[in-house]
Amino acid sequence: MLAEARRGWPSHVSPDVGRGIIGPAELDPTEVAERMSGNLCRCGAYRGIVDAVLEAAEAPARDPFPELAGS
Amino acid sequence: MRALAFHRAGDVADAQRLAAEHADAMYLAGGTNLVDLMKLGVARPSLLIDITGLGMDEIDHRADGSVSIGALVRNAPLAGDPQVRERFPVLAQALLAGASGQLRSVASTAGNLLQRTRCVYFQDTTKPCNKRAPGSGCAAIDGAHRELALLGTSEHCVASHPSDMAVALVALDAIVDVLRTGGDIDEMLVEELYREPGSSPERETVLSSGDLITAVRLPAPPVGARMAYRKVRDRRSYAFALVSVAVLVVADEDGRIRDLRLGFGGVATRPWRARTAEAQLTGTRPSPQAIESAVGAEFAAARPLPGNAFKVELMADTVTAVLGELLAGDAR
Repeated sequence: MLAEARRGWPSHVSPDVGRGIIGPAELDPTEVAERMSGNLCRCGAYRGIVDAVLEAAEAPARDPFPELAGS
Repeated sequence: MRALAFHRAGDVADAQRLAAEHADAMYLAGGTNLVDLMKLGVARPSLLIDITGLGMDEIDHRADGSVSIGALVRNAPLAGDPQVRERFPVLAQALLAGASGQLRSVASTAGNLLQRTRCVYFQDTTKPCNKRAPGSGCAAIDGAHRELALLGTSEHCVASHPSDMAVALVALDAIVDVLRTGGDIDEMLVEELYREPGSSPERETVLSSGDLITAVRLPAPPVGARMAYRKVRDRRSYAFALVSVAVLVVADEDGRIRDLRLGFGGVATRPWRARTAEAQLTGTRPSPQAIESAVGAEFAAARPLPGNAFKVELMADTVTAVLGELLAGDAR
């Protein structure tokens, strides 16, 4: 989902599908809720999940297995 | 447990040869609808022919302004394609209004066209359904109609076509390329792909067993065309349309309509091109009352049911809103 937003792909709630073609799509709670809607389970668009997705979107890409770096 | 054979087709000829040899074989692309129907016992193929290795997955924008969309292009990248979004926004909007992100990342263009109705009686094998079991009757006509059709219906079937994408495609005059078994390629309007149920609702398209959709082509939109898709549904996301409309309009500066194309969804047995309403509004500067009257004329031959008669007024309101915004130049 974040990769699609970084690619600049719009969602149903994006104000103009023709906009944002150059840069990544802007994410806010409404955008995240729509993009997570129907994602495996209805809780995918609950408030806590939406907040966590927004937090993850802000964070620099993190290596979850730093001990494997370079191997 | 039912035996099921699976074959990954190496090329188109291989796929079509197998389909010709097995009467109840089915092609498998994204599988987002077919696999569900198999789990429900509604689709019972003995052989699945996986066609996902056959290419046909490119979006080709041509110099003449047309675009060719491979049959296996997935819904998500099609909606994300910058030129589709810029030049055919009604298509991107329709795609984004359908299903969910996960489904759109798997569902194919041709599979979207050929998806089956979500009529609950069709999907419930304990209920009679002329589409699923020809001659068994229709539980829907005396059942719950909110999701069902009132245009193109018959006494045998009132199932609505569920696609959002196809509604935009009929408004765009899109063409389907069909590779017939034997090698002939036929092209037809998306509109012409579908049959009305009549007395044989099990036959939904003009395709024969083994025929393969290879591409969907969009002609260049008319100069100055403005277009938009709007979907009205019971839930804000991840729900099928009660009504939806795809509008493409070319208007003079004073708001007089020179060219109008209307696709209706959620109300008909197939993606519905509203030519009666188009004809009534073309050449005019329509008031909301005129739009309501034109939509009413489109529904003149409809067979409303107690549970879906409200869709006539809802469609009139929706068309009025979208067309009004497009003519005012601020639709999005």
